[in-house]
Amino acid sequence: MHSTGYCQALEKAAQIEVPPRARFIRTIILELERIHSHLLWLGIAGHIIGFDTVLMQVWRIREPVMWLAEQITGNRKLYGMNIVGGVRRDIPKELHPKIIEVMDKVEKETIAVLNAVVDDTTLRMRLEGVGVVPNKDAIALAILGPSARGSGVAVDVRVDHPYAAYAEVGVNVVVETGEDIWARTVVRIKETLESVRIVRDALAMMPEGPIEAKIDEPIPPGLVACSSVEAPRGETHHFVITSDEPRPYRWKARAPTFQNLQAVPLSIMEETIADVPITVGSFDPCFSCTERVEAVDVRTGELKVYTKRELEQLSRAKTKLLRGE
Amino acid sequence: MFKGKAKEALICFSNPRVTLKYPFEPQEPPDGFRGRISVDVEKCIGCGGCANVCPSRLIRFYDDGDVTRMEFILDRCTYCGRCADVCPEDAITMTKEFETATDDLEDLYIIQELYMGTCNRCGRCFETDNWIDKIPTRRNREGRNFVGPAMPHVQPIKEVAK
Repeated sequence: MHSTGYCQALEKAAQIEVPPRARFIRTIILELERIHSHLLWLGIAGHIIGFDTVLMQVWRIREPVMWLAEQITGNRKLYGMNIVGGVRRDIPKELHPKIIEVMDKVEKETIAVLNAVVDDTTLRMRLEGVGVVPNKDAIALAILGPSARGSGVAVDVRVDHPYAAYAEVGVNVVVETGEDIWARTVVRIKETLESVRIVRDALAMMPEGPIEAKIDEPIPPGLVACSSVEAPRGETHHFVITSDEPRPYRWKARAPTFQNLQAVPLSIMEETIADVPITVGSFDPCFSCTERVEAVDVRTGELKVYTKRELEQLSRAKTKLLRGE
Repeated sequence: MFKGKAKEALICFSNPRVTLKYPFEPQEPPDGFRGRISVDVEKCIGCGGCANVCPSRLIRFYDDGDVTRMEFILDRCTYCGRCADVCPEDAITMTKEFETATDDLEDLYIIQELYMGTCNRCGRCFETDNWIDKIPTRRNREGRNFVGPAMPHVQPIKEVAK
């Protein structure tokens, strides 16, 4: 996903035209990544609130997607698929039935999970009306991706600034107006189903042809370009200035987590500490395992640091409390 | 409440155990898996293409008189496989080996030395032996059209003979 952003920026700068087949392969890989990322998030959300059945079952659904990615690209993650001017590996004809089979299975099982969690009152008690980001604040804070779409803001780079093969395949943006964590959850599950649809359509529409543009001359120095990609968490921007060396003079990436975290203070206001983990988690942040919360008692000035384990225990205790155990 | 729980129970019971027995049973990755790099020094011609494309710049070549030393410091390897892609002699391959955890950093070093051939005319080192061995069959390769174990000198050979 980041590599697509970087390659697109360079292709824009040097005006390299990517062959259509390469654009379709990029789309398929990006959507496979979105499917597994959203399923991963759903599992973690279940884990945070002490609903480990969701974690186990959703990750079981996710695993075939990882195996599929391994078969197509040679690795479960870090696909190493993009190169400036195209992609490095083709998706051979033999793999098409396998991809369709996995997609069918993921779709069927995700729908089953969606139907089950919609009727689950415990889950809805924990997620509905919690971590609310009102529509106008979502626009003011410019939050992105599924977090914004859960608050009724229809932003999606795939539609607003189409790249890869999204213009051909088309994207139905999933928007929920609930503004709470439940809305973000539903957005992610429905987006998984939409991604399955995109993979299927892209596979059917994929034209024959080369997968890599022929680049004869080195990319000239001093070119500037910016490109955007819709990552599973929101839009990612890559900015590149080329140099006369075989590496960029300047390169800057802006990932969506930073933007989304601006909505955290607002959404945890007037909530209990037990709701902090799932509220922060609902923005799908990437913290590199530094999850902890410093709580200051404003009356006494006392500082308490909650570790990840303590937060998790608090959060799970609240679920039990709501269930009346 | 019970409707949701019943559906969840159905999902759970209709899927038996999916956990694999790894590491008690070996797991074979699929074809095309990018594992640890393997370098065949017999095939390497020392062109340095791999060092040029490596995104983490862990491949280094040092020209040191009659030997060229190449170092692969694999602790920074991202397993992108670009080196294997560009290698003209297929000396670098991605194996299926993925259990590369180690407590000794030196396990991740591949250090090889390539002997350089000396020029028959001036006596200086100019190419790796492996490359010179291939010259009779590959001499029309772009930019490498010299003949026999001598480096291209400024004056054409015929003029010197006069």
